[in-house]
Amino acid sequence: MSSQFIKAFTNLFKKPQTTTYPQDAIERTENYRGLIEYTENECIYCLKCEKACPPGAILFVPCEDPVPNDKNKKSLKYEYNPWLCIYCTECIRACPKAELALTQSDKKPQIGVKGDRVNSEWTILEQLKKGV
Amino acid sequence: MSKKIVQIPLGSQHISLLEPVKFKFSCENEKIIDVDSDVGFVHRGIERACTTKFKYDKIAYVVARVCGLCAITHSLTYTMSAESLLEGEVSMKAKYLRVLMVELDRIHSHMLCLSHVSENAGYEALFMQIMGDREPIMNLQEKISGNRVQFDYIDIGGVNRDISLSVEDDIKVSLKELRGKIEDLINEFENNYTLSLRFKGIGALSLKEAQEFNALGPIARAAGLVTDVRSESNDLPYSEIGFKIVTSSGGDIYARNMVRLHEILNSITMCENIVSGIPEGEIKTKFKGKPNGEALFRLEAPRGELMYYVKGSSKPMLDRLRIKTPTFASIPAFVEIFKGQEYANAPAILASFDPCMSCTAK
Repeated sequence: MSSQFIKAFTNLFKKPQTTTYPQDAIERTENYRGLIEYTENECIYCLKCEKACPPGAILFVPCEDPVPNDKNKKSLKYEYNPWLCIYCTECIRACPKAELALTQSDKKPQIGVKGDRVNSEWTILEQLKKGV
Repeated sequence: MSKKIVQIPLGSQHISLLEPVKFKFSCENEKIIDVDSDVGFVHRGIERACTTKFKYDKIAYVVARVCGLCAITHSLTYTMSAESLLEGEVSMKAKYLRVLMVELDRIHSHMLCLSHVSENAGYEALFMQIMGDREPIMNLQEKISGNRVQFDYIDIGGVNRDISLSVEDDIKVSLKELRGKIEDLINEFENNYTLSLRFKGIGALSLKEAQEFNALGPIARAAGLVTDVRSESNDLPYSEIGFKIVTSSGGDIYARNMVRLHEILNSITMCENIVSGIPEGEIKTKFKGKPNGEALFRLEAPRGELMYYVKGSSKPMLDRLRIKTPTFASIPAFVEIFKGQEYANAPAILASFDPCMSCTAK
C-alpha cells in the first residue's frame, strides 16, 4: 500500500501524459492515414476505386466540361469527400495505377464546417450519379 | 425498519455509469431484491444496413463501427465467417498478425475495465495511472494499423498492412515495460485494502449460477467456469503461441479483477511469442466467389464469446447478418448478481462487469 502511495505522490511532479494539441503537433507514425490524393492525368477511369470505397466517398459524376483526357470517354469528373472517407485505402489497393493516380498523403483534412456544405452538396452529387 | 419497497433507477444517464443502460432496482431498505433492465438506447440498425446498403466485402468495415473497444474482434469474426463461405486460404502470417491485434486489443480493453473498477472504489489516482499505462498499447496499435481506435486493419483475405521491423522492436520494448507494471498492479489489487477487502464477496456469482444464467468471458471464468473460445476452436493459432486459460473461484469483483490481470499477462506472453516468430508469407490472398450458404462463427472478445451468423445466396448482398454480443448474452447473469446486494455497491458491481452497450444495442 505504501509503494502505491509513494507512486501516486511522485506522479504529481511528472510531466502530463496528454499532448497540448494544437500548440504541440501530434506525432505522426510511419503508417499515418491521411487524405487520399488523386492525379487526374494518370487516371484511366476504370472506376474501380469508386466500387471499392466502403462509405462511398469517391464518386465519378457526369459533367459537361470534363478535363481533356483520352481515357475519359463518358465525360466523368472525380469527386472526393474527405469528411466521409474512413482512410482505409481500399481504393488504393483496387487502383491498377496505385502510387500514380491515387496515393495516401500524410495531410489531415480541414475541419468540415457548415460553409463547406459537406452533406447537402454531396447528396446532390450522389443523386446525379444515380441519375435521379 | 419498514418493509416498504422503493424503486430506484440506475441509468440511462447516471453519474457513475458511462454506458446508456437502465437498471431499475426494487430495494427493500438498502438491499436490492429485484432488477429490471433495458439496453436498447443506442440502436443504430447496423444488422439491417449490412444486408441492404453494403456489399459483403465492405461489411468488415461496417461492423467494426459496432464497438469502439473491440472493433478488431468484430471485423475479424465477420471476416472469418465470410471467408468460410468463399474459396481461398488465409496465409499463416496474416493469421498471426490478426491474433496480435486481437490480443493487444484485449490488453487495453481489460486495462480500461480495471481503471473503472478502481475509480468506483474511490481510487482516482490509480484510475489515472492505469489509463496512462494503457496509452503505449494504443500507440502500438496505431503504429501497426495507422489508426488509434477504428483500425480498419482486417479485410477478407488477410490484413491490410504489413508490420515493419522497427514496430516489432517497439512492441517488444513496450510489452516488457507493461509486464512490470501489471505485476505491480496484481500486487496492488491483492494487497491494497481499498481494492481487495472492499471487493471480496461483493457481487458474487456461484459456479452453478454462472452455468445456469449463461455467464460469459471473465465473469464466467472468475466463477470457475472453464469457458473460453480461444481454447475451444482451432481457427486461429492460439495453441502455438502459449495460450493458457485463466480461471479463478469466488466469482466476486475481486476474482474478476484477478482474472483480467492474469489474462493481460497471458496476452503479453502471446504477443511476445507472435512478434518473435512471425512466419514469412503474403499478408493478403485473393478469395474467389460470393458467399453462399450459412456460417456461424465464434471468437473470444475481451468481454466473452462473440458470435456472427452470416447467410448468403451467391449475391453481393447478404441475406442475413446476426451479431450476438457478449454483454447481451450476459444480461441474465448481471441481473442475478445484483439480487441480494446492497444498493450502494451497484455502481462498483456494474463497472466490474465491463458492460459494452454500444455492442449490445448496435
